[in-house]
Amino acid sequence: MKNMLKLGIILAIYASVACVGLAFVYAGTKKVIAERQKTDLEAALNDLFPQGKGFDEVTGSLKSTEPSVTFNNVYEVKDGNGPLGVAIRAVGASYGGPVTVLVGVGANGKIAGVKVLESKDTPGLGANAANPTYFVDRTKRLTFTDQFKGKAVTDPFEVKGDVIAITASTITSKAITGIVKVCGQTGSQWLATQTGGTK
Amino acid sequence: MILFKIFISAFLIDNIVLMRFLALCSFIGMTTDEGQSVGMGLAVTFVTVLATTVTWPLYYFILKPMGLEFLQILVFILVIAALVQLVEFYLKKSAPALYSSMGIYLALITTNCAILAVTFDNVSKGYNFIESIVYSVGVALGYLLAMLLLAGIRKRIATSPIPSFLKGTPILFVASALLSVAFMGFAGLVK
Amino acid sequence: MKRYIKIFTNGLVLENPLLMLMIGLCSALAVTTAVANGLGMGLAMTFVLLMSEVVISAFRKLIPDSIRIPVFIIIIAAFTTVIDYVLKAYFPDLSKAMGVFIPLIVVNCIIMGRVEGFSYKRPVMDVIPDAIGMGIGYTWVLVGISALRELLGNGTIFNIQIMPQSYKPILFFVLSPGGFFVFALFISLNIFLKSRLKNVEEERK
Repeated sequence: MKNMLKLGIILAIYASVACVGLAFVYAGTKKVIAERQKTDLEAALNDLFPQGKGFDEVTGSLKSTEPSVTFNNVYEVKDGNGPLGVAIRAVGASYGGPVTVLVGVGANGKIAGVKVLESKDTPGLGANAANPTYFVDRTKRLTFTDQFKGKAVTDPFEVKGDVIAITASTITSKAITGIVKVCGQTGSQWLATQTGGTK
Repeated sequence: MILFKIFISAFLIDNIVLMRFLALCSFIGMTTDEGQSVGMGLAVTFVTVLATTVTWPLYYFILKPMGLEFLQILVFILVIAALVQLVEFYLKKSAPALYSSMGIYLALITTNCAILAVTFDNVSKGYNFIESIVYSVGVALGYLLAMLLLAGIRKRIATSPIPSFLKGTPILFVASALLSVAFMGFAGLVK
Repeated sequence: MKRYIKIFTNGLVLENPLLMLMIGLCSALAVTTAVANGLGMGLAMTFVLLMSEVVISAFRKLIPDSIRIPVFIIIIAAFTTVIDYVLKAYFPDLSKAMGVFIPLIVVNCIIMGRVEGFSYKRPVMDVIPDAIGMGIGYTWVLVGISALRELLGNGTIFNIQIMPQSYKPILFFVLSPGGFFVFALFISLNIFLKSRLKNVEEERK
């Protein structure tokens, strides 16, 4: 019994040292990770709304109407005169796992742009949604996400209809298109309430 | 319905061995005999489901609320190691024949990457408790299926002419490659 | 010195963990779709292996035999967590590409096997060449497999176009079956190399 207690204590000591050490590493890297995420977000928002002069995170009032798509973060982008648009960080199910997309919805009722942030799809297939050198339209050199720029939020958003699919990756194409559609609809509705209210 | 989808994805479409390359050591090492494969598969299923029932609540009720997510790797693997010890202990007492036939492979279940991967997946895929259980059962049965398939194929290989440079392990991997291609056919099964 | 060299080269071919000992396979096939990933994984694994082997060897007199496995697990898990967070902070793309396989380093049989079978019984000076040798043995196979898979399956190496523009990538190689298949070729290559080495040694005698 005494031996077991001694062994237990030794084990506990090793475990505690490990945990404390890890806590240090975590604290140290946490800052770097957060910084990096912030810079990445700013870069992404700038990409979608080049005329934007600042953004605020919006909590609570804009939620997804589609049960399979979740809105993780919503950012309202302004340009000094009022809301320019809203960028929604949305997650939906795709082929290899959840796909995270940043969808920019302009106050003009058009999609400002789409960026794939995280994807677990197969490289060479679904992962091409995020590939800057994979063109769904070779003559116009449009990538899969490029084609959403300037699209009206009221469009049908049908893969193989008004949306070109990634070859052999229908599931991924439909997943992302679905997310963009929900973001577009709910985003522009929300923007309408904002501009109606502040002006 | 969504539970069925999760199950089929884990079992066939995203088969843990043939599509995700996990649990390969036991896949190659324990498929010489169909009985052995089934025994191993069932043991892994048991430990996996048990591991999920312990690690899921541990993460959501203790680690996350206390901001200790960085201890996930440490805690999860220790839980699995402890569970395997418990299973070993229990088997030794109540089914000594099975215990001795499994030999060292029982302890090796701890290092079975598939089990740890499942516990991680439950969190990263955001499954709730029921979904996690269904997922772990699906994955484990998928493992059992893959093991059984390879064991059957190995019997055939033993009596077939194989080119000398493929004899031994290489041909097993070629066979696995073909099994993997077959399983890719399941891809469109669930929307 | 000669002894250290022998320990070091052991892990490269003769007792190559992946091709001869057949351990640590899972991560080897899954992350080798691109050379960057294969290299990253190899180096990450080598880091955890080296740190774990050194710590366990240094503390071997202070680890009671009956609880050695849990203690090994704690130490290996700790270093795995360290590399996980370091990658997340400084190489986030690599971290995302390798996904769950970084945490899975903790159950990489190579590390557990080496620690239990070697560093628990040897002094620190012996385990350092062993860890580096095994680590490089693991890494060269990973890089080799990734190079073949990325080249044939994507036409690139390190995302630099190597194959001519007209080359249509054979997707098979970057998908699961391709992994198994390429690995089969590597194993048979290693078996061939090993028998050659044995012939050379016997001729010398």
